[in-house]
Amino acid sequence: MAYQHNHGAVGSQVHAHKADIFCRDETRVDWHSKALWTLREKRDRAAGSIPEWEQLRQLGSDIKLHTLTNLAQYLEIFEQNCLANGIKVHWARDGAEHNRIVHDILSSHKVKKLVKSKSMLTEECHLNPYLEQRGIEVIDTDLGERIIQLAKMPPSHIVVPAIHMKKEEVGDLFHEKLGTKAGASDPLYLTRAARAHLRQQFLSADAAMTGVNMAIADKGAVVVCTNEGNADMGANLPKLQLHSMGIDKVVPDVDSAAVLLRTLARNATGQPVTTYSAFYRGPQPEGEMHIIIVDNGRTEMLKDKILAESLKCIRCGGCLNTCPVYRRSGGYSYNYTIPGPIGIAVGAKLDDTNSIAWACTLCGSCTYICPTKVPLDKIIFHHRRLKAEAGQLPYGKNGYMPLVGKFMASPTMLNCSMSMARTALRILPGSLLKPFSGAWGKYRELPVAPNSSFEAWFKQHRSL
Amino acid sequence: MKIALFIPCLVNQMMPDVAIATLELLEKLGHQVILPEGQTCCGQPMTNSGCFDAARSTTLKLLNAFKGVECDAIVCPAASCLVAAKENFHEFDSSPEAQAVIDKLYELTEFLHDIAPIPVFRKPFAHKISLQLSCHGIRMLSLATPSEQMGPRFNKVEAVLAKIAGIEILYPDRRDECCGFGGTFAVDEGAVSAKMGKDKAQAHAATGAKYVVGFDPSCLLHLDGMIRRQQLPIEIRHIAQVLNAAL
Amino acid sequence: MSSKLEILNALKLSALMNHPMPSIEVAPRLENLVGQFETNLNAVAGTLHKEGGIKALQAKVDELIAQGLQVISLVEGVTANREMPPTAHELKDIDYAVIPGEIGVAENGAIWVNNKNLGHRVTPFICENLILALPTNKIVPTLHQAAKEITLASGEFGVFIAGPSKTADIEQALVVGAHGACSSNVYLL
Repeated sequence: MAYQHNHGAVGSQVHAHKADIFCRDETRVDWHSKALWTLREKRDRAAGSIPEWEQLRQLGSDIKLHTLTNLAQYLEIFEQNCLANGIKVHWARDGAEHNRIVHDILSSHKVKKLVKSKSMLTEECHLNPYLEQRGIEVIDTDLGERIIQLAKMPPSHIVVPAIHMKKEEVGDLFHEKLGTKAGASDPLYLTRAARAHLRQQFLSADAAMTGVNMAIADKGAVVVCTNEGNADMGANLPKLQLHSMGIDKVVPDVDSAAVLLRTLARNATGQPVTTYSAFYRGPQPEGEMHIIIVDNGRTEMLKDKILAESLKCIRCGGCLNTCPVYRRSGGYSYNYTIPGPIGIAVGAKLDDTNSIAWACTLCGSCTYICPTKVPLDKIIFHHRRLKAEAGQLPYGKNGYMPLVGKFMASPTMLNCSMSMARTALRILPGSLLKPFSGAWGKYRELPVAPNSSFEAWFKQHRSL
Repeated sequence: MKIALFIPCLVNQMMPDVAIATLELLEKLGHQVILPEGQTCCGQPMTNSGCFDAARSTTLKLLNAFKGVECDAIVCPAASCLVAAKENFHEFDSSPEAQAVIDKLYELTEFLHDIAPIPVFRKPFAHKISLQLSCHGIRMLSLATPSEQMGPRFNKVEAVLAKIAGIEILYPDRRDECCGFGGTFAVDEGAVSAKMGKDKAQAHAATGAKYVVGFDPSCLLHLDGMIRRQQLPIEIRHIAQVLNAAL
Repeated sequence: MSSKLEILNALKLSALMNHPMPSIEVAPRLENLVGQFETNLNAVAGTLHKEGGIKALQAKVDELIAQGLQVISLVEGVTANREMPPTAHELKDIDYAVIPGEIGVAENGAIWVNNKNLGHRVTPFICENLILALPTNKIVPTLHQAAKEITLASGEFGVFIAGPSKTADIEQALVVGAHGACSSNVYLL
């Protein structure tokens, strides 16, 4: 893959630097921000049409919390029921083991071509390069995923992976890779071309893999949601199907799944439901069905009471759509597979730039939009505390924060220096002051300085 | 009522007019207003970066300025500082005296809506205003229903201002999207902060309002810098200044 | 230690306090279920045929066959011109598949189908166009009610289908017809 973590040059990998580059093309930022805000608006209309919306959010949160607090039992019940349905179940402690298991299954069936529908978990595990290095062709079949696969880029959003690309850019890509007409950018034409191209892949695939939206414990079934039908074209043509899931995807029963299915698509794109919500409760006749249950850091998150709530997430992407910072910095600036608020929540610990937890104003919009009430702003704030305690602060904070603390605690120091600052602001020309005001003065006019502090005014006008 | 003013460092040093307006309006409403000495920063710049140790000294000094002060309420014209003070006091001091201080803390709009509503305004404020619904106020202090939330809606800010004769209250597009100040975010993530501020300032100006009116001075200071850089035909006012002008 | 055991053991260190399962009681909107279903089916780019029942459906199928199209029917009482082939791949040239729906969901225009009525599981996805036959009295208000009525026995496959396949992955422009069916018509019986 063209995208690699650059451990050597942390400074250039920090979120602020990447965001700065993204922000240089202001027209593009406006376009990107608007595209995502449109999804937010559609979400608001859909959510607003359900009088019991806030009740559903609370139910979603309670169902997920209940499941997470009994996760071991539910996972065992799930496995038992899967086995009774003729489904093979595998457990993987981390991404590497997941990849080995998947490869073992595929190679033992002499699979040469695998069609794959969207799974952020497989992105987390970096499955595609692992299989490709071992001679298995992997075709991502979700249109957005196929676009970025052909472009050799990772997804920039968990639901609409190619949202950062303009249709002309997709047209150029398809012209180069699929032979569409040069200069053609009509989405309908390009989608039909992709349909024809991917149809051939489905029909010639040796095996299929999907992600899992929900794993229903009492049925031993997995639920896979798509708009395109790519997961189900894949899983129902070749006779070998694999489904990868994080341990956090379990729900107790179909009633629980129904609650989440009512909020998932509405919160993601504003649709009442995805076109297909498929329930797989066993392999095809003469087929094989495998489920790989993956930990990869999730049990670790559960050890922290605040971070644990990240596992309620149903990966709707709503928090990305509303986040004012994500919209203006893009999905490639977070140094992690998943960007945006939920990306910070689950990825901050692994972030070697220590910067993504500060790619946030703590506005709280994400927390209020989340269909399972993941307290995202609280989690991000907690990550900052963990980084500070580990001495892993970005942007020089390790050095200056203790000094600021001392400074703020001294009314004398504060009053003296601020008095000087006010005087400077009043008498010195802006051109002299602005370079010293750093990021503030680069983008804003400096404040109009008052004559004195309020305390001084109060002493003069009110004290006896 | 006897009211102690909590004037955060930013307001004290850089926006004293906001504090003066707060003082004057409370006095006009018949309250006795005092200003406890020795108020220091609430610690938010440090705690927002996870640095709790660095915040301890200043936070406890601020808390001590209010402990044992005889008053009916402690009122603050800055929502984000108020929220930080409540959280940080609680973090560093679990004594009953600390809790007594926390229990008396109110943001100004909250105080004027829930505790001591304004019975009548004597003067008009015949202007269009665009409301700055700052994040701490609406998502952490319940001053208004956030736009993400569905169901019954309330808006204490509008309610407090609505009775002023001649006032026309407008809302910018993306009505409660963050202005991008975010404390040290403005310095750490300069480009994104500025873009958010520019977008917000332009959205306010696009309403045709004469003033951006808000309850959070930090947002207003940031927007003011953007407004003057973009040379937009709008000015900032804190809600205290509008209320004071109408009383 | 096996990975399974390692994971289950690690879960014992979870910091979350036990949280009870909530009772899921959501008041459904019962008025005009067909009307709600039609509105929402249209919103997901599907079309509803309320009149004429199975006769209208057969007439439609006859019309399609007269145009030279390949039509397969799994609905009892509706005959077409293709049989279920031995392999799923051989369905790739089907223009219209007519399948029976079990439950309709008014709040989102979705219809539950079970593999017992599909022949090969891929039938409703691989066809160029989809036609569903749904008993009118099987429309329920929301997924809460549908959850209690759908059949999905051990080893089976079922799917809620809401309109034709679609995508908005290219600059958010909605395109109907991605990898599944390009159109979806529902006949009420």
